Amino acid sequence: MPVANRSILAGLGALLALGLAAQGAPAAPAGPPVRIGSTLALTGPLAATGLVHKIVGEIYVEQLNRKDGLLGRPVEWVLKDDQSRPDLARTLYEQLITVDKVDLIMGPYATANILSAMGVAQRYNKLLIHHTFGTPSLAKYDMQFPAGGLAGDPDNTIPKLVFDALAASGKAPKSVAVVTSKFPSVQFISLGAREAAKKRGLREVAFLEWDFGNRDFGPIAARLKDAKPDFVWVGGLGLEGNLLIDAMRKIDYMPPLHFHLFPAPGPLLKAPGGENALAATTFEEHPPFTDNPVAVEFIRLYHERGAKAGLPDTSVENQSAISYSSWQTLETAVAGARSLDDKAIAQWLKRNHVDAIVGRLHWDGPFNYIYGTDLYKVKQNQKGKWVIVWPKEFAAPGARLITP
Amino acid sequence: MRARALAGFAAAGIGLSAVPFFGPPAFYESFLYLVFHWIVLAVSWNILSGYSGYFSFGHGAFFGAGMYTTATLATKAGVPFLWTLPAAALVAAVFGIALGAVVFRLPRLRGELFALLTLAVTFVLATIVLNTPIDGGPGLYLSAVPLPAIGPSPSSAFYLLGLALALTTLWTAREIQRSRFGTGLFAIHDDEDVAEVLGVPTYRYKLAAFGLSCGLAGIAGGIQAMFISYVTVGETFSIAVPLNVVLMSVLGGSRHWFGPAVGAATVTALLYAFTAGDYAVAGRAAVGLILILVILFLPEGIFGELIGALKRRRVSVTPAIGTADLPAPNAARPGKSEGQPLLEARGLSKAFRGVQALAGVDLEVRRGEILGLVGPNGSGKSTLINVVSGHFRPDSGRILFEGCDLAALEAHRIARTGIARTYQIPRPFAHLSVLENVAVPAMFGRDAQARADAEREARRWLAFTGLAAKAMSLPGELNLHQRKFLELARALASRPNLLLLDEVFSGLTHAEIDDAIRLIREIRARGATIVFVEHVIRAVLELTDRIVVLSYGRVIAAGDPRAVMREPDVVTAYLGKPRV
Amino acid sequence: MALPSLTLLGQSLLSGLFIGALYGLLGLGLSLSWGMLRQINLAHFALAFLGAYLTYQLAGAGINPLATLAVIVPCFFALGALMHWLLARFSVSALVTFGLTAIIEALIQWIWTADFRRMESGYSDVKFRVGALYVALPELLTLAMALALSLAVWAWLRHTYTGKAMRAIAEDAPIAAAFGVDVHGLSLLLSGLCAAFAGVAGLSLALSYTLAPGQIYAWLGVVFAAVMLGGLGNPLGPLVAGIVIGVSEALTMAFTAPAWAPLVSFSLLIVVLLARPGRI
Repeated sequence: MPVANRSILAGLGALLALGLAAQGAPAAPAGPPVRIGSTLALTGPLAATGLVHKIVGEIYVEQLNRKDGLLGRPVEWVLKDDQSRPDLARTLYEQLITVDKVDLIMGPYATANILSAMGVAQRYNKLLIHHTFGTPSLAKYDMQFPAGGLAGDPDNTIPKLVFDALAASGKAPKSVAVVTSKFPSVQFISLGAREAAKKRGLREVAFLEWDFGNRDFGPIAARLKDAKPDFVWVGGLGLEGNLLIDAMRKIDYMPPLHFHLFPAPGPLLKAPGGENALAATTFEEHPPFTDNPVAVEFIRLYHERGAKAGLPDTSVENQSAISYSSWQTLETAVAGARSLDDKAIAQWLKRNHVDAIVGRLHWDGPFNYIYGTDLYKVKQNQKGKWVIVWPKEFAAPGARLITP
Repeated sequence: MRARALAGFAAAGIGLSAVPFFGPPAFYESFLYLVFHWIVLAVSWNILSGYSGYFSFGHGAFFGAGMYTTATLATKAGVPFLWTLPAAALVAAVFGIALGAVVFRLPRLRGELFALLTLAVTFVLATIVLNTPIDGGPGLYLSAVPLPAIGPSPSSAFYLLGLALALTTLWTAREIQRSRFGTGLFAIHDDEDVAEVLGVPTYRYKLAAFGLSCGLAGIAGGIQAMFISYVTVGETFSIAVPLNVVLMSVLGGSRHWFGPAVGAATVTALLYAFTAGDYAVAGRAAVGLILILVILFLPEGIFGELIGALKRRRVSVTPAIGTADLPAPNAARPGKSEGQPLLEARGLSKAFRGVQALAGVDLEVRRGEILGLVGPNGSGKSTLINVVSGHFRPDSGRILFEGCDLAALEAHRIARTGIARTYQIPRPFAHLSVLENVAVPAMFGRDAQARADAEREARRWLAFTGLAAKAMSLPGELNLHQRKFLELARALASRPNLLLLDEVFSGLTHAEIDDAIRLIREIRARGATIVFVEHVIRAVLELTDRIVVLSYGRVIAAGDPRAVMREPDVVTAYLGKPRV
Repeated sequence: MALPSLTLLGQSLLSGLFIGALYGLLGLGLSLSWGMLRQINLAHFALAFLGAYLTYQLAGAGINPLATLAVIVPCFFALGALMHWLLARFSVSALVTFGLTAIIEALIQWIWTADFRRMESGYSDVKFRVGALYVALPELLTLAMALALSLAVWAWLRHTYTGKAMRAIAEDAPIAAAFGVDVHGLSLLLSGLCAAFAGVAGLSLALSYTLAPGQIYAWLGVVFAAVMLGGLGNPLGPLVAGIVIGVSEALTMAFTAPAWAPLVSFSLLIVVLLARPGRI
């Protein structure tokens, strides 16, 4: 009996211990909060994506505080609305640093605003981790660290990635049309695509550039229909790709293959005519990415918060994943440097790498980017779901690029 | 007054420029820089659009021209930043003046058409910049351009540059408002044709105001290019710039040089009051609501209402001026013998879309006489006055006035030769006080008096016409009789040699007509020559020395009033042919 | 580059025509309230987007998008009349409507978030084939609604008693009042109509475009241009001017670099203004 009793007791004890652990095992963070400041485009033309980054940041800060915060201290996120304006972003970062006196800063959303923040960070020797800077060659500050998975020369790497994917599909296109918005961070990558196509011996049947903000895509669609390319490279930002697809459908035309550089993924997924569209991404909700429990937990939380915020599309993809990865970078670097000192953290980042949900990030190339490689993959809209089709090792189980 | 203001500006300049040396957090400097930036844009916009009423929706184009000038020179030609600023001003100003030189020649391009034109120019410029090597798409990046060490930190440098430019702009706007130039612009705002006829060189004034306005916006653009350090077409030429500028000016009050500055500071502060991440959307709604409330309850703008309230409280002190102090209208040019021709019209013709309003009119006006111009409706009397005063150019013929041909002159030059007119339906400058209305011709007429002298002159003529008590009222507060007399006072204030009166008596009561007759007699007694168009035959007979009868654009009779009125041709013209 | 085909020319012309019709539809209410009541209603664009979002919402609940008009038009009419009734007691400047725009934008973002919304309906996929050319139903509907409303307003102003009274108000409201015209009532009516037109334009937007609150400002410049070029208060003006702008841009895009399109349309506009100010 005593044995039995002991074993029961032991079992009870174990249960109790488990319960306690579930309740309080991670020491709750204590002390004055670590304040992290940033701005996001919460209103204005960029607000659609700004909201994604806001939700991700809130999730991450909550997760941090449920563990042991940063260096044992709780974390407070000071978020301001830059209204999608670079001049406002600049002054708000100055406010965060010189008036609110935050300990650390994180980057805002989109190239122009990040550039503004970078200037401020440089003047105050602050570390700047950011996720959506589209023109790496303009990042001339030593303590800025891109966590968006882009290479230092995306105008080479992304076209190479896309044309490699097409070549491997077995039905490589022979002719190409490059159409692009004249939006700074999109246009130069599209020009790189032209070069890449030429090098690979593809015949360019059309090259068209439009003014960002163009509303009438009918004539561009009609010209594409006339040119009959095997493959269309769409250097569109946000909804532009959708507008072009709509316009092409209206004249009963769809190119056999089309790739979209920085689309709004939700609308493109649902757009009639968006089937088999290709796009670039760093992350999708399928293996191998979901083999990582951190990613799985994040996906769960994002679905929950996204639905609560009223988002029409709550799946995790490129924007939300690189946003999460940039917070992971900050947490890992602070822990690694065991300091909140900007210089110490920057030193650590220079010498180490971070395994984020989008993959391994490191910063040893020019402009602190990785030269010649990136974390981008090619995804395709297959039956109403985005699946990665290239490179093979990241492809969704059983998925391959569908060619007509 | 001016010395005190100058001292005030200097004190503000010195005081505010000391701020960076106390080492405030950089945010405050940058925030204030943005306030200064918008002050410059709003106040400079106001110089043309607020003062003269030419509502520009293209301020973004000139601001952008300055931005791209600085960005291009600093990055591609290696010009030091500060040296690019004069170039930015120059490019923007030349661009504005070139546009104005075409647009201001077309008198119908006012109001919304001017707004549309300037908006269209913005889009055209943006497209050109986007598709040529000026930008080409990727934007211009200025972070490698060295910023001169003007203050203790880069933020202070922008603060000090912004401060200097804001004070310069405000001073410019203030000086313009108080100068002859500004008075001319305000007159253009209310009635451009009348302003021109009273002697305001409207074309040159508009061009000058546009040039200044654009030049100042250009410098603001140059500094802003450096401030945001990344210049792209989308951000630069967006519709947000003109919208904000208009909003700020109207919110502050666009009839005073300082109003737009108040508006700019208010709107910029509002922008920062609601940047907290948790309430971004609610903040936007709050800004909208505050704007609505301010506009509804302060329709003249924040500063406009303030000034208005101050003015109402201040009791206007009218210096006692009797008619005894009056100079003769043509006192400056005394005594050539009477009876010589002062004005001669030879073969004057004018047609409107086939209607021959004047068909070869020959006419002379003798020095010192009162000439009545009569004829049935549509006989060409008013057209004749309009042609002589320069409102219309004649199709052919000559108008000799003191030996100089008026037919080729612009209206404001005609006014300066000593001709003044009144309008049949009074056309006062609605937003200027009665006193200012009368001071305009004194400032722009033959004698081109300084403002203080002109106001003294204006008060004399107001006393003369019995309007002295109304000097500080707006014309809208006057009754018809008083408005007619205001027309008269305004015509007299330029001390004309020749006064053209277009139906002064119509619509007046008997007693008022008696009053007016007395006045006109007095004017003549002081030596002016008067031509007047009239239907009130009683006044014609009582007043005129001679009459000229027009019918279908021709002179059908001239001579002694009573004799001429009995001529059969005249009777026929008025009453039709008698049936026999 | 190969010689552009006739199909390309025809298809581009159609494309320009249809987008021009949308400019006209968006501009109609703006032009009428500006020209007749002297009210520059910047909030017209925000109202149109509010209408588009409501159509999206109702269509999401399973209502036929065209049938939503039965709800939206009366509601917007009442809203427009109410706004006029509230604001007529103040000397209103355009800036009040700018403030309203900000409030409506915030409201839209609050309800539907800043994320993109796309109405799914049976209409978006329907198209007709005419020879080698295609015509999509949503665009055809836009053109039909723009034409119908513009012509109806034109006929109303020209041939009916209230329409003539309305024109009298546009000429000189105090004089019209002195002649017994019910200025206040007719102003309410017109304001209501203008807002209702914004609601109709909203349906067109929802049929053809993906919605986001920031897009409110994207249409401002070009629609203003169409309104002013068409002559304020002229019911056919915005449509004609909108089509001129749309077609000239579309042809530029069909035959040269598409990015030059605004240069051609707005240069054309400037030339028209300089050569014949006033009207087209």
